[in-house]
Amino acid sequence: MTRPKLRLVGGVCAGFAEHTGVPVSAVRTATLILTFCGGFGVLLYAWLWATVPSADSGPVGEQALPKSRLVLATETRSPASQGSAPEVVPGNHTNSTTVDAASARSAPVSEILLGVALLAAGVALIAGRLGADIPLAVVIPAIVVLAGISLAWRQFADIRSGAAKRSSALLMRTLGALVLVAVGILLFFVTGEEPDVWTVVIAAVSVLLGMAVVLAPWFIRLSGDLVEEREARVRESERAEIAAHLHDSVLQTLALIQQKAGPQSDAARLARAQERELREWLFTGAGSAPVDLAAELRRIAGVIEEDFAVHFEVVTVGASTQDVPEGFVAAAREAMLNAARHAGGSVSVYLESSPTGTELSITDRGPGFSLADIPEDRMGIRESILGRMRRVGGSAAVRPGPGGQGTEILLTLPAVPSSTAPPPPPPPVPAPRELPFRSSAPVPPVTLDRNGHTRGPEPTHGETTP
Amino acid sequence: MTDARAAEQHALPVVIVDDHSIFRSGLRTELDAGIRVLGEAASVDEAVALVVAQQPRVVLLDVHLPGGQGGGGAEVIRMAAPQAPGTLFLALSVSDAADDVVRVIRAGARGYITKSASGAEVSDAARRVADGDAVFSPKLAGFVLDAFGAVSGETAESTDELDRLSVREQEVMRLIARGYTYKEVAGSLFISTKTVETHVSAVLRKLQLSSRHELTAWALARKLL
Repeated sequence: MTRPKLRLVGGVCAGFAEHTGVPVSAVRTATLILTFCGGFGVLLYAWLWATVPSADSGPVGEQALPKSRLVLATETRSPASQGSAPEVVPGNHTNSTTVDAASARSAPVSEILLGVALLAAGVALIAGRLGADIPLAVVIPAIVVLAGISLAWRQFADIRSGAAKRSSALLMRTLGALVLVAVGILLFFVTGEEPDVWTVVIAAVSVLLGMAVVLAPWFIRLSGDLVEEREARVRESERAEIAAHLHDSVLQTLALIQQKAGPQSDAARLARAQERELREWLFTGAGSAPVDLAAELRRIAGVIEEDFAVHFEVVTVGASTQDVPEGFVAAAREAMLNAARHAGGSVSVYLESSPTGTELSITDRGPGFSLADIPEDRMGIRESILGRMRRVGGSAAVRPGPGGQGTEILLTLPAVPSSTAPPPPPPPVPAPRELPFRSSAPVPPVTLDRNGHTRGPEPTHGETTP
Repeated sequence: MTDARAAEQHALPVVIVDDHSIFRSGLRTELDAGIRVLGEAASVDEAVALVVAQQPRVVLLDVHLPGGQGGGGAEVIRMAAPQAPGTLFLALSVSDAADDVVRVIRAGARGYITKSASGAEVSDAARRVADGDAVFSPKLAGFVLDAFGAVSGETAESTDELDRLSVREQEVMRLIARGYTYKEVAGSLFISTKTVETHVSAVLRKLQLSSRHELTAWALARKLL
């Protein structure tokens, strides 16, 4: 049994419900009812809160999943943990069972026994208040025995699962708990009949020792956490130190190489690739790479830079939380590849994720491209960029870059599909080069051929001005 | 010979401040003929002394520097600027955390450029700073758009508002973030280059003076490059 990460108070009810399969609302109601029974529910809740371990963040973050799957997982996860729909937990369930298997607290026997003990205590309290004659001499020892047995069970569970490293110590603690409980019971009997100073003292001491034994696992866990945290901090500071050193020396040198060699050369490309790898390692940390569109674009840029003499300047603005379809990423990749293949040099990639939608512009400073010269690319552009964007409900536009030089490919994806979204630029089917500029003034219909000469619209291309 | 000397006289006097001698000498040879390097400094204290003694027009200032109170480039600006009123600062950084860059700019730097920029680009940026313009890299423009809430549609209603960008400023920043030069921005927006420069300077002023809490929050949370 584990407590989920997302919780109302302590996550005890949700964890219990998930473990037993009882609807979480029923568990919560039961807890509330028990709370009014002499505060017993609160006691039980507090006990479980203290003893039940919190669920791990789960193995989901370990491997880099495709964004869509990741988002799906978080989506199914959040309503389940809010407790409104306990059935929708398939992904979470496997997760929690694996955690259970590893955890020593897989069998809730100890919790149940403790619960029974507390329940008995609560019932005895209420009954006593209502005036019923409760044989305390019987009830109290019973409670103590139950508590002792549950404690022992728990320690044995620890040993069995191998959670504890020093099993002999645990065994001793367990036996000690049993003995202490037994002594406690005996002494209670004794004190009940003939009170004596020494029996009272020994009883108090044995109770204190019993409490220490009960609390020991908790303390151990706490100190274990502390050690773990300290180790993590040491690792982190070590990393920061190395990072600072690398940052000062290696990154500077790599920057210098790039500066000296110019963006087109192999040396600059190698330096850039190295710099990117180093930077990834330095700044993103191990295994915590965020899977969002911006990171994905940077990754794609890195892959393309390895194969072509190109440098992508990726600027992302806004939090790219919107779930972007695969088609958009594929179209972006194709557009970047196109810029790398036909223009090279420095290519700007600008991503803006706003509440109204996602806009990606890829601007190169190449010779511009004339679709007539590269017929297979025309198909490539049409299908892989324009077609893809249409299919995912967005739009794409190809237009000359700033000042009529180079090419700018603009991909737009409205946040809300169709209807309420702003009208996308007109579909670009017949024109080899369409110019749906968003600015007010029309852009002259200029085509640039590979040599950089400007050409007017040619009737054979069937070019149209918007 | 006299022509060369005359050109030397008209060249822009700069100082290079960076703690890496390789980088300093590399940059020195890369800078074009219109730039005259008066000296180099490797630490905060050296830099302050050099700037005050030489009074250069532009200081090419690394964001990270040893020495002084540990304040790096920002400290150099704070210490040297009052004693060198004619000097302007251009921040250079090997793609650092945004908070460092923003700190230097808020200390008074007139722009930011990455160290991987070519010598010609650095020379050009230095000249623009000398002309009183602000130099924004695409990354910095992107950061500004984020930090001033331009993406979520926040727009300044009056010109003296410091915490938000005007519509025009947002347009300019968007195009700079796309890698456009000022001239290309001017062409795309059908305004003069001078107007673009005015807008960029206005944004720089806001970046320096705004008390918007996101500025620091954003800067801390993300890397500029």
